[in-house]
Amino acid sequence: MTGGGRWLASFLLTTVLPILAFAVLAWLSHGSAWAWALAALAFALVAGIRSRQLSMLSQWLESPDDSRDADADRGGGEVLAKLGRRLRDDARSRETVEARLRSFREAMDAVPDGLVIVDAAHRIHWGNRAASHHLGIRLPRDAGVIIEHLVRAPGFAEYLAASDAGVPFVLQSPAARTRVYTVRVLPLGERNKLLVSIDVTDARRVDSMRSTFVANVSHELRTPLTVVSGFLEHFVDDGVLDAEQRRQFARLMSDQTARMLTLVDDLLTLSRLEADDAPASEEDVDMADLLAQLLAEGQSLSDGRHRLEVNCQGPAVRGNRKELHSAFGNLVSNAIRYTPAGGSIRIEWSVGDGDGAGTFSVCDSGVGIAAEHLPRVTERFYRVDRGRSRETGGTGLGLAIVKHILLRHQASLAIESEVGHGSTFRVVFPSWRLQPAD
Amino acid sequence: MSDHLSKQFDLELEHIRSRILQMGGLVERQLVAAIEAFSSGSLETMEQVIDSDSEVNAHEVGIDEECTLLIARRQPTARDLRLVMAVSRIVTDLERSGDKAAKIANMSRKLQRAGRQRIPRLSDIHHCGRLATDMLQGALDALARMDVDAAQQVIGADKALDEAFNAILRQLITYMLEDPRTITEALDIIWIAKAIERVGDHATNIAENVIYIVSGVDVRHTGAARKKAVEA
Repeated sequence: MTGGGRWLASFLLTTVLPILAFAVLAWLSHGSAWAWALAALAFALVAGIRSRQLSMLSQWLESPDDSRDADADRGGGEVLAKLGRRLRDDARSRETVEARLRSFREAMDAVPDGLVIVDAAHRIHWGNRAASHHLGIRLPRDAGVIIEHLVRAPGFAEYLAASDAGVPFVLQSPAARTRVYTVRVLPLGERNKLLVSIDVTDARRVDSMRSTFVANVSHELRTPLTVVSGFLEHFVDDGVLDAEQRRQFARLMSDQTARMLTLVDDLLTLSRLEADDAPASEEDVDMADLLAQLLAEGQSLSDGRHRLEVNCQGPAVRGNRKELHSAFGNLVSNAIRYTPAGGSIRIEWSVGDGDGAGTFSVCDSGVGIAAEHLPRVTERFYRVDRGRSRETGGTGLGLAIVKHILLRHQASLAIESEVGHGSTFRVVFPSWRLQPAD
Repeated sequence: MSDHLSKQFDLELEHIRSRILQMGGLVERQLVAAIEAFSSGSLETMEQVIDSDSEVNAHEVGIDEECTLLIARRQPTARDLRLVMAVSRIVTDLERSGDKAAKIANMSRKLQRAGRQRIPRLSDIHHCGRLATDMLQGALDALARMDVDAAQQVIGADKALDEAFNAILRQLITYMLEDPRTITEALDIIWIAKAIERVGDHATNIAENVIYIVSGVDVRHTGAARKKAVEA
C-alpha cells in the first residue's frame, strides 16, 4: 500500500505536475493549441527519460558493477542501489544455503547406511555414497533411472510396490555378491519414498559363527557322553559282568570323562581370556626357567620317543607367567603329538638383531600342515585331521587359546609348514616387552 | 525416454522395460545360484534353479505378448520401435540364459547323485561363472541405463570368457588322458562349462541390442572395428 502511494506521489510530482504546469503556462500565454502541443512534448520528454533509465537499468542488470551506481542519474540511482543491495543479499543467502546443502550432503555421505530417495514412479532422485556401494547404483548419473531396473533381485519390485516397512527386504548386493544387505522402505512426504539399506554381512557371519560354535561344543561333549552312557546301560542291564570286564569298562569311562573335563577346562580358559583384554598381573618372566620347565614337561609327554632340544638366548619377557606357560606348553605338546617317534623338536628363545623383537619358536620334524589349512588352524574346533587330533587327546581349542593369550601380550603368531617336513610356530614379542639388556 | 502426447504410451514402453529387467533379475539369480550349487554340491539349490525355469518361461510369453500388442495398438516409430524390437530379441536371449542355468543345475545334480569326485570341483568353473554373471549383469545394467559404453565393455569381455572356457577344456583333456575313468565326469563338466560360455554369448547379444536401441546401429555379426566406429 505504502509503496503504491509513494509511487503515485512521485509520479504526480515529477511527471504530471510539470506537464500540467507547462500546459497551463502555455495556455495562459499562447492559447489552447499551443498548450496541447507543449503538453504532448513534455510528455514525450518524460517518457524518453524514463525509457532511458529503464534501458540503463537493464544494462546494469546484465553486468552489475558498483562504479555505475555513482554516476547513475538521480531517479535511477536509488533504484539501482536498491537492486544492487537486493542482488548482493540474494547471492549471500544463496551461498549460505549452498554451504549448508554441501555440509548436509557430506554428512549424508558419511552415514554408513545407504539412503536413496525415489519418487512415486520409483525414479531415483538422490542417494548417498553408501547407497551406491550397497545397491550398485552410480550417482548422480543414475538420477531418473527407475530403481528396480538396477536392483533386479527377484521380489524387490514387489516389496517396493507393497511398501510395507514392517519386514525389511534381504538383498544380496548386485555389486558384491558375498555381502548381504537389508533394505527398508519408508514413506517420505506425500509421494516419495526413502530406501534405507543396512550392511548385515558381519552380523550374519557372527550369528552363523555362534551357532557353529554351539554345535561344535555339543558335538564334542556328546561323543564321550555317549560312550559313558553306553557303558552305564551295560552295567544296569547286565548284572553279571566279571571283574576284568568291569575294570576295563570303568577305565574307558574314566578316559572319556577325563576328555570332557579337559574340554570344559579349555572352554573355561577361552571364555576367561575373552572376558578381559589384559592379563590380571604381569611380571618379568625368566625365559631360561620357563624353557627348562617346558623341556621337562615335553620329555615326560614324549616318553623318550623324540629328541628335544632347548636353546635360550634372550632376556626375560614381561607378561603373565601362567598364561605364557599355557601358550608355549600348547605349542610344545602340539609339536610332540604331531611328530612321529624318532623325530626332533627344537625350542628356541632369541632376540632379533634389527628390531629387537623377541622370538619364541617351536620347530618340529612332524607331519606338517597343508597350506590351505594354515589360515584356519587357530579357529576353534578347526581340525586338519579329525581322527588324529582326537586319538592324541586334542580338544581342538589349543591354538585358539594360544592365539588369545598372545593377543593379550601384543605378540603375533606365525606358522611355517610343509607337509611331510614339519612345522615351525613362531611367537614374536614386541621389543618393549623384553627386559632391556644391562 | 522421449515424451509422447499420450502419457499412456510412455507408461506402456516403461512397463515393457521394467518387465524385461525383472526377468533379467530372475535369470541373474538363477545363474549365480546354479554356479554356486556346482561348487557347493547343494542339491536343494539345484532343485530350486531347475524349478524356477518355468517362471522365466512364463515371463517370456508375457513380454512377447505385450510387445505384439504394443506394436499393433501404438504403431511405434524410430527409437520406440527399436526398443520394442530389441526387447523381443532380448527376451529370447534371457530365456536361453535361464535354460543354461537350469542345465548347469541339472548337470551338477547328475554329478552329485552319481557321487563322481575323481576330478576336483574346478575353481576355473567358478571363475568362468563369475565372468559370465558379471557380463549378464553388465548387459542388463546397460539396458537399464541405456549406456552404450557399458554395452561395449560387455561385448569386449566375451573374449576373456572364451579364453577361460578353452583353459577348462585343456585341463579336462589332461585329466581324461591321464585316467580314462574320468571321461564320463569330464564330459559332464564340459557341458557345464559350455553352458556358462553360452551365457556370455547371450549377454553379448543383449549388449548389442542396447547399442541398437540407443544409436540405431545394428552391430550384430560385425567386427570389433565396426563396433568402435559406433562408439566414435
